[in-house]
Amino acid sequence: MCAREVEVTAEDSGTPEEQGDNPRSGLSADERGLLEAFDRLRPQGSLGWHFDDTVRRLVEPPQFQGRPNGWAGLPADLWERGRGTKASERVLGDVVTTVAQDLSEYTDRAVDESYQRTEDALGELRRTVFDAIRFLAARVERLESSVDPLGMEAAEFDLPAMDASAWFDDAPTWAAARSDLPVLLGELADDGLLAALVASGTGVEGVDPRGPVVWAANAAFDVGNGKAGPATAIAEVIDYLRALPGASRGCVVLAGCVDRTDIAGKVDLIDEARRVVAPGGALVVLVTEQSAWDASVAPVVRDLLPGRPLHPETWQAVLEQRGLRGATWHRPTSGSVHAVVSEVGR
Amino acid sequence: MSGIHLFVPMLHVRDAVGEHTRALRDLLVAEGVDCRIYIENPDPNTVHETRHYLEYEDDAIAGDVLVYQMATRSDMVAWLAGRPEPVVVNYHNITPSEYFAPWNNWIARHQALAVLELEDLAPTAALGIGVSTFDADELRRCGCPEVVVVPVANVRIPPMTPDPTTLATLRGPEGEGGPRWLSVGRLAPNKAHQDTIAALFIARATTSPDARLTIVGSPSEPAYARALRRYAAELGMHGAVTFVSGISDGALAAHYVAADVLVMLSEHEGFGVPLVEAMSHGLPVVAFAAGAVPEVVGDAGVLLEEKGPRHVAQELAALIDDPARRESLVVAGRARPAALGLDRAGSDLVAALLDVAGRAPGVSAVPGSDVPVRPAAPLSH
Repeated sequence: MCAREVEVTAEDSGTPEEQGDNPRSGLSADERGLLEAFDRLRPQGSLGWHFDDTVRRLVEPPQFQGRPNGWAGLPADLWERGRGTKASERVLGDVVTTVAQDLSEYTDRAVDESYQRTEDALGELRRTVFDAIRFLAARVERLESSVDPLGMEAAEFDLPAMDASAWFDDAPTWAAARSDLPVLLGELADDGLLAALVASGTGVEGVDPRGPVVWAANAAFDVGNGKAGPATAIAEVIDYLRALPGASRGCVVLAGCVDRTDIAGKVDLIDEARRVVAPGGALVVLVTEQSAWDASVAPVVRDLLPGRPLHPETWQAVLEQRGLRGATWHRPTSGSVHAVVSEVGR
Repeated sequence: MSGIHLFVPMLHVRDAVGEHTRALRDLLVAEGVDCRIYIENPDPNTVHETRHYLEYEDDAIAGDVLVYQMATRSDMVAWLAGRPEPVVVNYHNITPSEYFAPWNNWIARHQALAVLELEDLAPTAALGIGVSTFDADELRRCGCPEVVVVPVANVRIPPMTPDPTTLATLRGPEGEGGPRWLSVGRLAPNKAHQDTIAALFIARATTSPDARLTIVGSPSEPAYARALRRYAAELGMHGAVTFVSGISDGALAAHYVAADVLVMLSEHEGFGVPLVEAMSHGLPVVAFAAGAVPEVVGDAGVLLEEKGPRHVAQELAALIDDPARRESLVVAGRARPAALGLDRAGSDLVAALLDVAGRAPGVSAVPGSDVPVRPAAPLSH
């Protein structure tokens, strides 16, 4: 395509999808959600747009439009038209013309030299900035590859489904302290936990990065056919939490995501959940028993997955260390999923 | 003896531009023309058949014609623009940088600069050769004074014989599995493979629970390739989406033969070699009508004006469930490469270059100038 067509103006702002001719505008909400799930995997997000324009401005020296034409002097036919002008006025006119032309030429030279000096200085600055960006980009790539040489995502591994049935009866009690605010279920485990919370009359929203899980939940609750059900979203729990206002939820229940992420990811989840839960509300971590986890995942997953479940006692320590109160370990009556319940201080 | 020499930033094997360049070199040599390939960055796999472009300064002979294979940016362009020899721009399209910007700023910048280079080089080119009308139009818009359309020279006519071992593996036991979708193309953002994965997700949830997708293509942009894998995984399609790369031509042919349909939802294609490869192998094509795709597919495939995942899934299901329609597309598809002039693309390209050489000073030294020159024929479609 021609360079003329990559010019980006302020009116063009936004990704191609965000512009006026949005190719997704005719799609249903679930189709858009499906495609947006991929958009979230773009590493640079909205940084992309305006990039061309910025680069063009950086790599191309600004075009010097040229100074205005110098003073051309008095109209050539002036003396023809002014035959009646006195000789003294004609001499004065000649002097004015000569001086003005000299001044004009001097100004032109000064403008040209000034522009050239500015260009020289800016050119050097541009080269330096680009060198720095290239250097940093190379360093970031090396750093990323040294921290995570395989670059595999947790979602690429086949992980066991969590059986949280032992907590269906207790789940509504976790939400009771701040029943004026909705409960957020971070990963749906199975529909049962979501159903138990909905049945208790609590406002519930369920978040899960796995499309089929969310779609199955929507189908189970007949969402979209005029029936009230839980609000659901296909999203990474940590991303969803980050987008929520502080103290806006009565309870956050984290399941699944806390098992598979590494320790830094676990702490991020706890910190964000603590910020989102209103004072007096509960933060609940559902954690798979380590022996059950090790027995249920394939060796490849066990070896390569960045994280594994923490012991409930460790969770108690982590929750206390991150500022939550009264972290209590609840053992299941059946199954291998434990609950660690804590409270956000008032 | 003067010659017609080819310049390409890197010469890759199993790459559309690389294979086209090598095929053109062989055709020119077969015509008795002195032809070498000059590169900027060496590829270990082809380094033995290339020379660095600055070495041309020692090789130059009056009457030479220099042919630049353009698809990305290169320091070669400024150098070529300063050469006294006639320069032909063989244009394979520059993928717009906005496709790469969210994934790789470096490549995005590279592509933005390539556009500027095209704008600099095109007005001074002795001839512009677009591999499609879509590309030729871009050359004209960028000021190229004389433009012809000659498609790529590296499509095998007749098609490659499938590798029997791969074919047997892909077909599996008789009657096993559901519809097999195939997508062929580099894992680059403009190819929009994610739209095919999303359509597969809808198809499996609605009409075709057993549908499977194989994506054959090298991970040209690693971050994008990683995201595609993760996307398929997050949609619960670990086993339903298979990524394949680095396979032989015979193995690729086996994929074409074993599949039920080729899906190409690319948003920017300068030609679309997999489309004609699929049609040559009798594989029906469903493609998004973008770039050069409509002129390449013609009426021999299903062209989609919009590509929402549900719409794509429905179109594919309708095609797979309609044997008569499939058969008519197969017949039309097999005839399509000839209709596009692919069988004579090589000779047309050589003729166009010899024509330029014939106009160049010192032409008497080019053996090819003794060969009767016929003008390059534009695509007839």
